[in-house]
Amino acid sequence: MKNRKTSVFDGLVGDNTVLSSLMVISPVIMCGTDISNAIALIYAFSAITFFSVILGSFVPKKLPYAAKIIIYAVIASLVYIPVRTAAGMFFPEVIGRVGIYFPLLAVNSLIIVQSETKFYRMKRLPMIASLVFYILGFDAVMLITAFIRELLGSGTINGRVVDADTIISGLGMPFGGFIFLGLFCGLYRAVRSAVRREENEGGGDSDVHGN
Amino acid sequence: MQTKIKSERFIWIDIMITLLTLELMEYFYYGIRSVVLGCVCVGASLAAELISLRLMKRKFTADDLTCVSDALIIALMLPAAFDYKIAAIACVFAVVAAKNVFGGRLNMIFSPAAAAYVFIYTSWKSLLLMYPEPHTHTGIFEKAGSLVSSASHSFNINGKLSISDFELLMGNFCGPPGAVSVLLLSVAAIVLLFRRSISAGAFIGTVSATALLAYIVPAGVTKAGSVKYSIVMNMVLFAAIYIIADRRVAPKRGYFAFFYGFFLAAFAYIYTLTSAKENSIVLISLVFTPAALGFKNLEKHIENIRAEEAASELLQAQENADDTVTEEAAADEE
Repeated sequence: MKNRKTSVFDGLVGDNTVLSSLMVISPVIMCGTDISNAIALIYAFSAITFFSVILGSFVPKKLPYAAKIIIYAVIASLVYIPVRTAAGMFFPEVIGRVGIYFPLLAVNSLIIVQSETKFYRMKRLPMIASLVFYILGFDAVMLITAFIRELLGSGTINGRVVDADTIISGLGMPFGGFIFLGLFCGLYRAVRSAVRREENEGGGDSDVHGN
Repeated sequence: MQTKIKSERFIWIDIMITLLTLELMEYFYYGIRSVVLGCVCVGASLAAELISLRLMKRKFTADDLTCVSDALIIALMLPAAFDYKIAAIACVFAVVAAKNVFGGRLNMIFSPAAAAYVFIYTSWKSLLLMYPEPHTHTGIFEKAGSLVSSASHSFNINGKLSISDFELLMGNFCGPPGAVSVLLLSVAAIVLLFRRSISAGAFIGTVSATALLAYIVPAGVTKAGSVKYSIVMNMVLFAAIYIIADRRVAPKRGYFAFFYGFFLAAFAYIYTLTSAKENSIVLISLVFTPAALGFKNLEKHIENIRAEEAASELLQAQENADDTVTEEAAADEE
């Protein structure tokens, strides 16, 4: 029971899409510069990935791998159309700023790679739960990155000016995004390995006590 | 190994001596604030190095003091009245993001000082490229009254300068305080070249490419003036000594280092000529990082091939010697 829970929640922290697997990093680096961009991308990523993976799970498993990948991409592209139309109404300014990274979300690694290697090997209900947490994992990283980069790079929070003493505008540039994400990944991995080491030590002790 | 360790430390001492001399000259022109700026940079770098090495579970050794020389290089490239906080952030960036993230002192990809400079250039360009005039002494916590553009900026825009050769040698003009004292920089270059503390190939390559291009495609009104100012302005001489010819980054072999410096300087000259961007050689040095890495990989490849060839020759010689002994023994038996 404990293992099953861990596997479902993995996508949020333990096996985070961005920080652990380094997937879908380009929108985070290029567009995760402020919260308004982040919210638009979170909406698009969540909607496209959720519906594409669920619809893709109905594709027969007997089909060749190459054909399945093409079908997943076609499904994602079809899901992209209404998502893009709605985004045009809700986030008209952001769509222009995000540019090519918005349509690129339709062929993100979570749909193309993880669906086949992870999600479609699970039963439907656990798959949906796991998918939701993987999506939330991406959303959390996107939001945290955008918040910090906007605060330090522009001295604003969601467009509102704050009393920031020193503004590091380089953080809003792609190179700043690379460096920030690199440091964020390093911190995440250090914390994760420390927690796992502690868990292993705890497990070892309990075994010893059990014996 | 012991010799290698010693030589690394001697290189650091040589570089530190020349940097301290430049810092002294900066004190003469800009007063105590420039010295405090240097101290802030050194303090921030040392603290960042100590903390990051502790996080990496490594011990702080004398070799890790190279962060101090990097901090001084950064301080010398900044205006004398520069914000302490930004300077400290840049030094932390140099140590953590540009050096230790890539594995530290032994796995350096690019000069930490150059990375820090580009970091400041992208974030606080307006503060970085405005300088107090020489002999303007500012208090430790005061801000400079009037700031002006550098002589490099004027040269890039107009192609001419009204600075006498004496002032040029003494560094009595606006610009990054460490990079304007031409006489001291020349002496430092000669000393470091003779002490083999910098890569001679990279230094000569950088200076010769700049001089050659400045003569062929003059940036100034006259060819002589173009050559003179192109080497002195835009931190070319300073970068050639402390960034491009840095032994930790430049290729080891002389001719590889020469071409590395040559192409880097040629590209930087063309970029400056076409875009009038100030101090572009520091920016280009980061862009040329893959070239340095490529040269280093090539050097390793050549060394491996030579070692294999030497080993096979030795084996062949041993086999020949064995054959000769067998033949001689057979002849004796007959």
